[in-house]
Amino acid sequence: MENIQTETIAVKESEISPFRNGLGAVLAFFGFSSKTHRASKKRAKLVGDIFTYIILLFGSFLMLFPFWWMVAGSFADTSIQGTGMPILRRMVWWPERSTFQSELTGISNPFVNYATVFTNAFPSINKELTFWRALANNLIYSIVPVVIGVITSASAAFAFAKINWVGRNAVFYFLLAAIMVPGPSIMTTQFVMYTELGWRENGLVLIIPGLFGSIMTAFFIRQFLFGLPTSIIEAAKIDGAGYFRIFCGFILPLAFPAIMAQGLLSFMGCWNNYMGSFIMIPRNSLWINLPHAIALLDNDGNGAYANNYAVVIAASVLCVLPVIILFAVFQKPIIQSLMLTGSKE
Amino acid sequence: MEENITTAEAVEVVPSAAVSEETIPQKKQRKPINQQKLMDNIWGWVFCIPLIVGTVWFVYIAFVLALMLSFTDFSMSKGLWDVIGNYASEVDKFASSVDHAGHGGAFFWYAQAFTKTIDGSLTNLNEMGAYLLNTVVYLIGIPIGMVLSMFFAVCMSRDIKGGNLFRVIYYLPCVASTVAIVYTFKIMFDSTGVINQLLGLAGDEAGQGAFIWMATTGNAALTWGTMTGSNSTSAFMIDPYWCQGLFTKLVIIIMAVWKGLGGTIILYAAGLAGVNAATKEAAQIDGANGWQIFWKVTMPDLYPVIFYNIVTAVIGGMQIYMEPVLLVGEDYMTSGYVSLIWNYGINGNGNAMAARPSQGAALGMLLAILIFVITMFQFWLDSRNKD
Repeated sequence: MENIQTETIAVKESEISPFRNGLGAVLAFFGFSSKTHRASKKRAKLVGDIFTYIILLFGSFLMLFPFWWMVAGSFADTSIQGTGMPILRRMVWWPERSTFQSELTGISNPFVNYATVFTNAFPSINKELTFWRALANNLIYSIVPVVIGVITSASAAFAFAKINWVGRNAVFYFLLAAIMVPGPSIMTTQFVMYTELGWRENGLVLIIPGLFGSIMTAFFIRQFLFGLPTSIIEAAKIDGAGYFRIFCGFILPLAFPAIMAQGLLSFMGCWNNYMGSFIMIPRNSLWINLPHAIALLDNDGNGAYANNYAVVIAASVLCVLPVIILFAVFQKPIIQSLMLTGSKE
Repeated sequence: MEENITTAEAVEVVPSAAVSEETIPQKKQRKPINQQKLMDNIWGWVFCIPLIVGTVWFVYIAFVLALMLSFTDFSMSKGLWDVIGNYASEVDKFASSVDHAGHGGAFFWYAQAFTKTIDGSLTNLNEMGAYLLNTVVYLIGIPIGMVLSMFFAVCMSRDIKGGNLFRVIYYLPCVASTVAIVYTFKIMFDSTGVINQLLGLAGDEAGQGAFIWMATTGNAALTWGTMTGSNSTSAFMIDPYWCQGLFTKLVIIIMAVWKGLGGTIILYAAGLAGVNAATKEAAQIDGANGWQIFWKVTMPDLYPVIFYNIVTAVIGGMQIYMEPVLLVGEDYMTSGYVSLIWNYGINGNGNAMAARPSQGAALGMLLAILIFVITMFQFWLDSRNKD
């Protein structure tokens, strides 16, 4: 096992052609056993690892390239009508005419596309709308409902996992059955309902329904809570703690990893919730969220920046960047929580 | 563990209840337990109330209202509560009106969904069928994504350094905004874009003869020629339905697979990590090679994860909407079924007052039934497999 050199198997030499023998030796060198030579396990593992790395690195390139393309595209100079777009459309690695080439383009600020996003771009949709307003909307839509919603979900999960009450299973299946209802089926009715309630123009439509928690989040936190020992709760009960105190003092801290991971996942979902804003919030409202505003910059090719596309790409970078950073920082609990889903189901 | 505790408590509770009924003096001693049970019941409900209210309000009531509205002629100019308040007469009015009486009555919207043809060049094409076909075509991405993600997950489950880093990289597209991704892919798959340049399909300097992935000509028929720049005049190539938006669909499938890969990889990686190592080793000692171990040991263990993944992916895939619409706009050649719901129910072809939420609700009910039937069919296949 120790020597990486290949060992010849005792086969009658005369029966094997020299070519076959040589091929076997070469194959063995690359970790493949054959009739003539047996490759060492170490060599096989090494070659396998190299192949794995090549495949995974190639896959990583495919995964990351569109992100690189986005960043590079946000530095393209597409401001000149007519000649601008082809620069972005022909770009492979880096734009032919980037905003860094000040002597060619006459642009002194290399971040001019980002500057446009911050200044002129969003007022083209609505005079009072700015990038910061859309960003603030996005933050409100993804923090308020998620923080409160994850707590309400956790409280329901606590009741399902650790409290013995009449109708627990019936209620649980009643709630779980609701995920069978596809969102688009009730989309129009929800639209009518929210119009009647007057939640559409002021963005409440993306806040209030989220406050009540989500079934899937509750379901995953419940799975996590099953793993916690019930004896802690029993002990707390004997010490005279009420359920509310148990929930605040024990369950929330103990289940914090699961709650945080679920919260982060729903934060990202709400951050990218284009469809909710697009369907429910009128496009001339100040309460549209960031992805919706970016989509309106292009607006099926009829938007104000449909021809100065680098600005749209720059805004896209600004929309993607926060979640990427968030994910990079919290990747461990998020991936763990996702893996829990895979192993539990 | 949880099961054991509940049953143990139940066993304890039943005799005590019986005893307390028979012997009255002991009732006082048992009172703390009953109070505890009362608290359990009260707090159980209290903790669940928000989720119950939210689900009932935003899902169940909305669903019932959708079902009710689908038999009426509700439009945005009418009040919702007026229609619901006089529901019977509204349905009656709707069913007996001149336009609807001979065409399904109260089921007019449902009947129309099945009979309406597309206004445009291909007049005999059933509208719902066309949109549904697009939706089903996009489902092709699911098996492709599954095979690819299984492949990558197996690669990552090898004992290599940096496996976690790869998992993070592959998951990045999942957290990125669909809007940003679609706009990036839109230019990347342009006729002179990076994909065509790398594939050598970009044509000459001016982009002449370039391969066109996304030909957007509104409702006019797309031909093989307009998409590929070829001059073929064969009837098969000029106006066949099969190639309507074919390459746009391909771009959307590529994008969906690219974006969804990471999530599935993590799911499978978790499944692979949970596969019993001892069974694998036993198979190895028995002389099974890597391929056999994968198919005979790993795959059966992974089956629940794969099944869960297929079911959720099909449910999600049937609801595809944003990707095609953001990429090329709404048209019957590429948009998914949800586009119909949006366009008839809310958008009203650009005039919100002409929108018929009831028509959208009827189309939504059909979608819900379809998804339900498909899901049940999958579970049926699953149960048949187990025997």
